[in-house]
Amino acid sequence: MDIVVRAGVAFLFLLLLTRIVGRRELSSMEPFDLILLVVIGDLIQQGVTQSDYSLTGAMLVGATFAVLTVAVSYLGFRVKPLRRVLEGEPLVLIEDGKPIEQNIHRERLTLEEVAAEARGQQIARLEDVRWAILETNGSISFIPKS
Amino acid sequence: MHIRLALAAPDLIVLERHRDLEGRRSEAWIRRAILLVLFAALVAALANLFGQRASDAARSAPSAELEIRAPTVVRGGLLYQARFRISARQELKKATLVLDRGWLEGLTINTVEPAPLGEASRNGDLALELGHVPAGQQYVLYLQYQVNPTSIGRRHQTTTLLDGDRVIVAMPRSLTVFP
Repeated sequence: MDIVVRAGVAFLFLLLLTRIVGRRELSSMEPFDLILLVVIGDLIQQGVTQSDYSLTGAMLVGATFAVLTVAVSYLGFRVKPLRRVLEGEPLVLIEDGKPIEQNIHRERLTLEEVAAEARGQQIARLEDVRWAILETNGSISFIPKS
Repeated sequence: MHIRLALAAPDLIVLERHRDLEGRRSEAWIRRAILLVLFAALVAALANLFGQRASDAARSAPSAELEIRAPTVVRGGLLYQARFRISARQELKKATLVLDRGWLEGLTINTVEPAPLGEASRNGDLALELGHVPAGQQYVLYLQYQVNPTSIGRRHQTTTLLDGDRVIVAMPRSLTVFP
């Protein structure tokens, strides 16, 4: 019983962490971030399974995570206010070529990072951007001026 | 005079909410508050709130002093040590240490050194017969533990030092086990 409870607590804690860490940190994986992610996974695993090496334990933890993933997804799908909490909302970063500083700083982004993202999408100048939107998955969508 | 032409926002983008942050001002503060709680938990951990730094406790009687060094807070799976030091001021002919069941429930005892002369259950508690301790000498007993991962909660760990059937000193103590 306790392994399911531990898995549930770990799942909710990870969900909380990913929501408060911020979208950009999770979408832009530097080598260090990748290592950190693997280490966190290992730390969480030890806390969940502890000294349980059984196949039953592994299946229970896997099943708990799967059920909770579907449950959270379903709740987000059915309850719109909850979707905002679970997944976040898009954020406009640039409008008609003008950066919205308040929104950029809110996500701990710099204009240089936004410009780099734009270059990655073959946009040389931010003034050529009609809309830049930070999506809920952490990526930035650029809509150029036509 | 500048006239700002309103651009048509992309589909499902509500400018009041996604650009002007109407109704979203509190989000950043909620995030900061949660981060603060996490930070507070880390500070509490550094302050030993979640274990497992050992602490000393001692209690004296005219014939002997009992000193215990062990953590009072531990977490599931951790290895730790409890040390019992008996300083005899007068001769103890048949020193016996009685450990409350809180010293045993949900804990694995890996080692007891030096091995007691005898062990017995005394009304559900563990009685370790240590034998003769001459006046002016010390007897130090080490117990090496591991916390069973499923253990959780607070338990009493009263320790009583006897000479034969005579209680010399009793020391109440507790252990909190975090999951």
